[in-house]
Amino acid sequence: MKQEEGWEPKLLGFLCRWCSYAGADLAGISRKKYPANIKIIKVPCSGRVDPLFIIKALRLGFDGVLVSGCYPGDCHYQTGNYRAQRRIAITKKFLEYIGVEPQRIQASWVSASEGGKFTEVVSEVTKELKEVGPNQSFTDGR
Amino acid sequence: MEDREREQKLHHEAKTLLEQGQVDYIIGYETGSLKFTTTPLITKDEDDTDRLVVNPFIVNNLSVYLPEVRGKAGIVAKRCDSRSIVSLIQDNKIAREDIVIMGIPCPGLIDLKKVELLLGKDRDELDNITREGDKVMITVDGRERDFPTTEVLFDNCLGCEFPAPQEYDVLLGEPSLSITDKVASRARIKELEAVSQGKRWNFWREEFSRCIRCYACRNVCPACFCQRCFVEETEPLWLMPMPRWQDNLMFQLARNIHVAGRCTDCGECERVCPMNIPLRSLTRKMYELVDELFQYQAGMDKSAPPLLTAYEPTEAEDFIR
Repeated sequence: MKQEEGWEPKLLGFLCRWCSYAGADLAGISRKKYPANIKIIKVPCSGRVDPLFIIKALRLGFDGVLVSGCYPGDCHYQTGNYRAQRRIAITKKFLEYIGVEPQRIQASWVSASEGGKFTEVVSEVTKELKEVGPNQSFTDGR
Repeated sequence: MEDREREQKLHHEAKTLLEQGQVDYIIGYETGSLKFTTTPLITKDEDDTDRLVVNPFIVNNLSVYLPEVRGKAGIVAKRCDSRSIVSLIQDNKIAREDIVIMGIPCPGLIDLKKVELLLGKDRDELDNITREGDKVMITVDGRERDFPTTEVLFDNCLGCEFPAPQEYDVLLGEPSLSITDKVASRARIKELEAVSQGKRWNFWREEFSRCIRCYACRNVCPACFCQRCFVEETEPLWLMPMPRWQDNLMFQLARNIHVAGRCTDCGECERVCPMNIPLRSLTRKMYELVDELFQYQAGMDKSAPPLLTAYEPTEAEDFIR
């Protein structure tokens, strides 16, 4: 796979409004550094993330998608993150069978107090995506 | 029991149900306009029940009509259909007490495309097709030829172990042993699994460049019961209206994930596809994934919560950071 000089992966993050988004906020307030590769969409709950969003993001040319929510048991709506867990597990495995690199679909639990963990997750995911290379699945060139 | 006897029993049952007012409609199969084919018959008229047929070509999954029919319905169901019915009950789309299921112990259906390939002839040129246990007799030009049943059954039928419907009120005949060929049933999936990721993607890319997005696969699917499908949404516009392969593939991937845990591997999507896209290689794989990850099979237990609304706190979490 050809890779342009200075290419940076584009990562789309769906962050739950109660935990992960607050965690990302905290990372900012604490002036922690994390890669600028992530574009964030705030969702009410990680359970709001329809697998369709993930596929659409890949279709639009994002190199990876990160869904992040509250820790198990901490969901503001009790069960939203558990449901997200099932959906994302299915989506990841299924897309792997179709031929999408599994690294492109990522999930994490980040609480509102974990600004540090948020920066770590974004750095790790960005690093993995750099190794995988650009998402050319939906371009005509592949 | 012979198909003929089953048919007579079915006529009797259906007529009685309508006469006694136990159901408002009967949903079954009648002889189609093309050779060997059958077509759905939905009727309120007792006299129409004589047109109902049972044969190895009753391919439609009739449960797709159930959420649309108002009132009580009597439905003819094979095993795969009965599982779709159970799945619809799980999803609260229909109520068990509103339907009377006339179950058919189905030993597998004959795929006319396979027959045509096998003989190198069009179905119009064939005189007769009959089945007896593990043999299928096909008469061409006045000459009868035998074939092993496994060569002409639908791929999904080859993977179906139990002929008896999962849920029924009346069973038309005794279940006989199923003739299966599990290897052949998932041969195409195995082939795909053996090649590299890039090749798999290219394979699907090629297949979906043929797709004309007619949505036949969606419309025929009992698991696809949304009143408004995401493909028709305009705000946001999920899919570009022009059927390019990217959007075609995206549609099918999202559809498959949406019906995960509802798909019973009835194979209807693949059968109706006018472009012969091997859709069952997607649906069957999803069926297996769901089983592997969550030990869940669609349409087996009508009191169980649907897959995507339930959870176990400790399952499938190894990928989460």
